Amino acid sequence: MLPAAILTLPLATGLICLAVRSRRWLEGLNLGCFGAVAALAVLLARAVLEEHTVAGMGRFLYVDALSALVVGLIAFVALLTAIYAVGFFRQEERAGKVTPRQVRRYYRLTPLFVFAMLLVPLSDSLGVMWVGIEGSTLASVLLIAFYNEKTSLEAAWKYIIIGSVGISLALFGTITTYYAAVQVFGDAAQTQALNWSTLSLVAAQLDPHAMRLAFTCVLLGYGTKAGLAPMHTWKPDAYSEAPIPSTTLLAAGVINCAIYAIMRFSALAAPCLGHEYIGNLLVGFGLGSVLIAAPFVLVQRNLRRLLAYSSIDHAGLMVAALGFGGRLGALGAVLHMLFHAVTKPLAFFCAGNVQQRFGTVFLRKITGVMRVLPWTGGLLLMVVLATTGVPPFSMFQSEFQILCAALQAGRVWAAAALVAGVVTIFAGFLAHVSKLCLGLPKPEETRTAECPWKLSAMVLSAVVIAALGFWLPAPLFRLVTEAANIVGGTP
Amino acid sequence: MLVIQFLMVGQRMLPAGIRLFAVQSFLLAGIAAVTAYSHHVPEVYLVAGLTLAGKVIVLPWFMLRLVRQVGIDQEHRPWLNAPSAMLLCGGLALLSYVVARPFATAEAAGAHTFGVSIALMLSGFFLMINRRRAITQVLALLCAENGVVLAAISLTVRGMPVVVELGVFFDLFIGIVVLSILVYRIRETFSSIDVDQLNRLKG
Repeated sequence: MLPAAILTLPLATGLICLAVRSRRWLEGLNLGCFGAVAALAVLLARAVLEEHTVAGMGRFLYVDALSALVVGLIAFVALLTAIYAVGFFRQEERAGKVTPRQVRRYYRLTPLFVFAMLLVPLSDSLGVMWVGIEGSTLASVLLIAFYNEKTSLEAAWKYIIIGSVGISLALFGTITTYYAAVQVFGDAAQTQALNWSTLSLVAAQLDPHAMRLAFTCVLLGYGTKAGLAPMHTWKPDAYSEAPIPSTTLLAAGVINCAIYAIMRFSALAAPCLGHEYIGNLLVGFGLGSVLIAAPFVLVQRNLRRLLAYSSIDHAGLMVAALGFGGRLGALGAVLHMLFHAVTKPLAFFCAGNVQQRFGTVFLRKITGVMRVLPWTGGLLLMVVLATTGVPPFSMFQSEFQILCAALQAGRVWAAAALVAGVVTIFAGFLAHVSKLCLGLPKPEETRTAECPWKLSAMVLSAVVIAALGFWLPAPLFRLVTEAANIVGGTP
Repeated sequence: MLVIQFLMVGQRMLPAGIRLFAVQSFLLAGIAAVTAYSHHVPEVYLVAGLTLAGKVIVLPWFMLRLVRQVGIDQEHRPWLNAPSAMLLCGGLALLSYVVARPFATAEAAGAHTFGVSIALMLSGFFLMINRRRAITQVLALLCAENGVVLAAISLTVRGMPVVVELGVFFDLFIGIVVLSILVYRIRETFSSIDVDQLNRLKG
C-alpha cells in the first residue's frame, strides 16, 4: 500500500500539472506532492525497520532497507528542491531569463522525473529498475535543454547520446542476467526470474560466464549514469547548463539511483563470481574517477563545473568503497551515499544564488560573496568544507570508513591514491571558494536581501548537514546498517 | 541472421539509412515471430508485433518526415572511409563471436544469434562515433538497440517478462520523440545538424 502511494503520487501530480496553467497552483501542487512523498517515505522507512521487507501491488514493488534509504534520500532532495525552485524561478522570470511557458514546463516535467527516479528503488524487477533509470534520463533531457541556448542544447545532446549508449549496455547486462536466472529457475517461474526477491536467494547458482558479462555491461551502463570516469564527460556540461533545481535533482537523486543499481548487481554477481573480479573492476573505475576529477578541480574556472567534478569524485568514492568490500566497505558506500545526497543540494543552491546575483558562474568574475550575500557566502563556505570531507562534517566519517575498508582489504596503494585525490580536491576547492567568498567585493556591489523561499531551503539543509555531523539518529543508523548488510550480501 | 549484420555494414554507404533500418527491424520482427511459432510462446508475438508496428512503420515514417522538415542534405562525412569502416566492423563481429562462445550451447534461435546480436550492438556504437549527423547518430542508437532486442530473443526463448518488454518499448519511443525535438531545436539554433558544431563546452 505504502510503496504504491509513494509511486503514484508524483505521477498523478505530473499528469494533473499538465492541465494546470496558473503558476501559483503549479508551485503549490509540486510542493504538496513532494511534501507528502517525503512524509510517506519516513513512514515507509519505519515500516521497513519493523518488518524488514514491504511488498506492494502484487509482487511488483518490493522494499527493503536499502531501497527505503534511497527512497528517503530522493524524497528529501525533491522536497528541498521544490522549496528552492519557487524562489529561483520567480526571480528568473522577473529577470526575463525565462518565459512563463518554460516555468510551466519545469513544474510539469519535474514530478515525472521524480516518479521515474522513485521507480528505481521501489521496483522488485531488475528490468523495471532499468525502465525507471531510462525514464529519468528522458524526463531530464528537456530540463537540461531548458534555456534553449547553444550551450544548453549541446549539453543535452551529449547527455542523451552518452546516456543512451550506457543505458543500452545496461539493458544488455540485464538481459544476460535474465538468461542466467532462467537457467536456474527453468521455464516454470519465468515472470519471477528478474525479481530481486527471488534472484538474490539463488545468486550463488548463477552461471559465472553469463554473470561476468552481465556485471561488466551493467557497471559500464549504470556507471555512465553515475558519472564514473571515463564515461563522465556529460556531467560537467549538464550540471553547468541545466537550471539549478534540475541540476540538484540530477546530482543528488539520479546518482543515487545509478549507484543503487550497481550495488544490487554487485551483490548478485559476488556469490558466483567471487569478489576478486568485481572488486578489481569497481576499485579501478572508482579510483579512476577520483584521480581524473582531481586535476580538473584544480584548474576549473566555472563554479558549477567545479561542483560537477566533485560529484564525479564522490561517485568514484562510493564505487571504490563497494569494490573494497567487506562489512566496512559496504557500510562506507551506503553511508557515503547518504551523506553525499544530504550535502550536495546545499552546494548547488548556493551556486544558484551566486549565479543569480552576479549573473555569471566564472570564478574569476565573482568576489566578495560574503559581503554581498552574507547567508549564501557563509553557507557556501560551510558546505564546501562538508563536501570535501573536513571534520566535524559527516563526509569525513564515511571517507574515513572507506579508507579503513581499503586498508583492511590490503589495497594500500589504492588507499594512498584515494587520499592523494581527496586532498588535492580539498585544496582546489578551498583555494577557489575562499577567493570567491572572502575577497573584497567590487565597489559597486552592495549588500542584497535574500529570497525567503530559497533561504529556507538552504537553512533547512544546512541544519540537517550540521546535525548529521555529530548525531546519527538510532533508527537511521539501523536502516543504514541493514542496507549495508544487503549490499555486502550478509543478511 | 547474418543478413542483418551485412545490411548494417552496407548501410554505411547508403543515404537511405532509415529505410535500411526499417528492413532490419522487419527481419527482427520476423525472427521474433518464427521463435514464437516454433516454441509456442504467445508472449513473443507481442514483441514481434511491437517491433513491426513501432520500428518498421511508425519510427521510420516519423524520421523520414523529420528529415524532410529539417531539409537535410544527403552527404555523410564519416571519420573513416567506407572500406576501413567495413574492415573494423568485421573485426568487431569477430570479437563478438569470441565473447559469445561460452553461450553457444543453450541457445534457442540458432547457434550464432547471440554473436550476431553483440556484433549489431558494437557496430551500432561504432556507427555512432563514425558519423557526424545528429539524425544518423539516432539511427545508429536504434540499430544498437535492435541488437539488444535480438539478444533478448536469442538468449531466452520467451523474451523478457511482459512488463519489462512494454516498459522498454515505451522508453524507446519517448526517447526518439525527445531526440527529435532536440534535433529540431539544434537545427533552429545552429542552422545545421552537424554534431561537430557542438563544441563549446570544454574542461
